[in-house]
Amino acid sequence: MYEAVHAHPDGQSTAARFAATADRYGYDGVVVRADDARPDYGSLRDSLAVDVVDAAEIVAEDPQHASGAVGNARTKHTVVIVAGGTNALNRFAVEQARVDVLARPFEGSNGGTDGGNGGRTARNGSADGDVNHVLAKAARDNDVRIEVNLGPVLRSRGGTRVRHLTKLRKLKRILDHYDAPYVVSANPTSHLELRAPREVAAVGEEIGLGREWTREGLDEWGRLVARNRERLSESFIAPGVERGRYEEDD
Amino acid sequence: MKHLPKHLQPRWRYLAVGIEAWPDADLDRGSFQRDLWYAAQNLYGDAGSAETDLTVLAFHFGDGDGETIVRAHRGTEDRARAAVAALDRVDGHPVGLRVRGISGTVRACEERYLNGRTGNGEQRDVVFETESSPAVVRGDRVDVDLGDGFAGATRLDFE
Repeated sequence: MYEAVHAHPDGQSTAARFAATADRYGYDGVVVRADDARPDYGSLRDSLAVDVVDAAEIVAEDPQHASGAVGNARTKHTVVIVAGGTNALNRFAVEQARVDVLARPFEGSNGGTDGGNGGRTARNGSADGDVNHVLAKAARDNDVRIEVNLGPVLRSRGGTRVRHLTKLRKLKRILDHYDAPYVVSANPTSHLELRAPREVAAVGEEIGLGREWTREGLDEWGRLVARNRERLSESFIAPGVERGRYEEDD
Repeated sequence: MKHLPKHLQPRWRYLAVGIEAWPDADLDRGSFQRDLWYAAQNLYGDAGSAETDLTVLAFHFGDGDGETIVRAHRGTEDRARAAVAALDRVDGHPVGLRVRGISGTVRACEERYLNGRTGNGEQRDVVFETESSPAVVRGDRVDVDLGDGFAGATRLDFE
């Protein structure tokens, strides 16, 4: 199970601190959604017990700006995440097979109560993006995971949280019906906002997403990382085609 | 008042909860209890809160590190866990909470999951992002005081 985190300077804690906390909490690793963050992944992986995955999170105003960044990030990073938030961006992300994850389709930049990177973009957690059946089908066909953002569930209150919960319930119905891939994340911006997998699953159960369904979303990060690492490895040519020794037939 | 016959007494489960916060956080049992109740009430309402009946028993906290025992009705451990997860700040201080384990008695809970080590922070100056800043060092964990807030780091970041 992996959690995708906003490391310093995008968030308040460094990638190493996130990884150390995730280790105690029982995660297999953290996915660093690097927008401005540039941690030294090699030395982190060597000295920590958990995996640290280099991911790029693309926060753009519109699809035109995002498009170039996706191309750049695809060759350099294991996981490419596009922050949604407007209908145009959500649609762009799910129609690009180069994109792995559409993050925060409803709220865009990491909103909620923390303000960790609020104000960096014009859209601060109150965007008008939506997910419908068209996007879910496109996401399934292009193998783009739609993120179920539990951040506002854990960290905001009142009307904001109620509206977000309503959207999450609708999102689950759509995702289940079209069998679209999804990931679950609490979008933590500091190690204090990180929650252990069982806690996240308990919250998922409480808000009507289901315990197993929530866990699946956390597991999906791991499957995504394994698949992309295999694709980036030198022996990979195309799905099902690899360079190397023949398999022994018994 | 005479207490209830044994088979009618409520059955409890005790959650050992580890607390982490920035070094300047100042929490006590009362504020933790109040915000835990609010978190539970906001998550599943008055009826659910009464059903779980969350009560904070032992509370140890100092210098941004602590642990506590939260009591819940037997059978509602997962709802209690969700309320603990949804508690993001106490008295305005952000907190990182983790359920270390659940026991059937306070004593087993203390012996198994609490270690009583709180408040062993050490003040030191570190160079973070090319600037020298005061920091609180606890084992491998380093909380750097940036003036307008803290940044969480580890020893690895200064090697």
